[in-house]
Amino acid sequence: MPDDLLIPMDADSPVESAELLAASGLAHQELVELVEFGVFETREGATGWSFQTRVVHQARRAVKLRDTFGLNPPGMALALTYLEKIEALEQRLRELECLLPR
Amino acid sequence: MKFKDYYETLGIERGASEEEIKKAYRRLARQYHPDISKEAGAEERFKEISEANQTLSDPEKRQAYDELGRHDPGEEFRPPADWDTRFWQGQAHQEVDLSELFEQMGFRSSQRRRQAGGVDFPIRGQDVEAVARLTLDEVSRGSQVTLERPGGGSVRIRVPQGVTDGERLRIPGRGGPGSGGGPDGDVYLHIQVLPHKLFRPVGHDLYLELPVTPWEAALGSQIELPSLDGRVRVTVKPGAQAGQKLRLAGKGLPKRGGGAGDLYAVLQIVMPTQISEREQELYRELATASTFQPRPQFTGGTTDA
Repeated sequence: MPDDLLIPMDADSPVESAELLAASGLAHQELVELVEFGVFETREGATGWSFQTRVVHQARRAVKLRDTFGLNPPGMALALTYLEKIEALEQRLRELECLLPR
Repeated sequence: MKFKDYYETLGIERGASEEEIKKAYRRLARQYHPDISKEAGAEERFKEISEANQTLSDPEKRQAYDELGRHDPGEEFRPPADWDTRFWQGQAHQEVDLSELFEQMGFRSSQRRRQAGGVDFPIRGQDVEAVARLTLDEVSRGSQVTLERPGGGSVRIRVPQGVTDGERLRIPGRGGPGSGGGPDGDVYLHIQVLPHKLFRPVGHDLYLELPVTPWEAALGSQIELPSLDGRVRVTVKPGAQAGQKLRLAGKGLPKRGGGAGDLYAVLQIVMPTQISEREQELYRELATASTFQPRPQFTGGTTDA
């Protein structure tokens, strides 16, 4: 029998830097650079930066790319920017495809 | 234990140099990395490649692996009698997967090294990642999924109303247990929405193809169409055009903070492929009566830019 029911985090609830680093495996300096590149959006938290839950997913993705391809922070920033741009375009493409007969 | 041929996975010889292993891994990683490849099964393949690389790129693990000898992939085998005690200090002959074994080996050897200094250092628990494939109805009503825990047992996760295709949910601290005072891992659930035969989701909006006859488009009509919560009526105005979107506000997927996306019915004017004598007659009559010019831009010379 399943023991309990897990409730996911709200997408809006803030995640502090320390938690983001632990959950993603990103190093502090890498985080600073990715924020400086503007890839991760920050908000002012109680103790320094805080992030939206979606940044945790971005950071984990950056770490996977870093580990697979040996990327440095500028490389991670570039890869993430392109991947997100591609996904936005794919979304737009799906939208336009919906206007065409199947 | 089932044997896996890590060399075959990377497509290299058993005597390959460290450099060759690295090259093979990089080439395959670029091909199958889930962020890059949209091929079916790429994610599975990438996991195998990573697993092979993690073992073969570490000289200590590679040596241990090589000493297992050569077997056919998937073949049941037992490691040599002294293998466990030399490389892995777990319970002998417990049913384990080869990948877990090598993963643990890394942990244990690094733990041993640190523990020699008398410090028990904390290790964060493993994250649990899973994919939930949900129907549009499940996404719209909210749902629950059950996951197998890596250490046995299962957990239920609530999938709230309002998730969209591709979204990732996070449940902190409910993954694998940490050790040495380290925190527990997290649970990640990747949402995938299964295709629906009528509705196509784009974010929280839904698109529905609405085929109409030429006369419905010309004269206008009232059409009943399906939505996620029952049938709704839309008005097609006279002179409707193909591709026109009819918006039904709030009839899309519910949003998490309340409210909902919209349902768009996209007009398609469809023609029967075969028509009767009588219909042909009516079309001919229409052709004579109509002054409609559908190609005004074609009139005049072709030399104009």
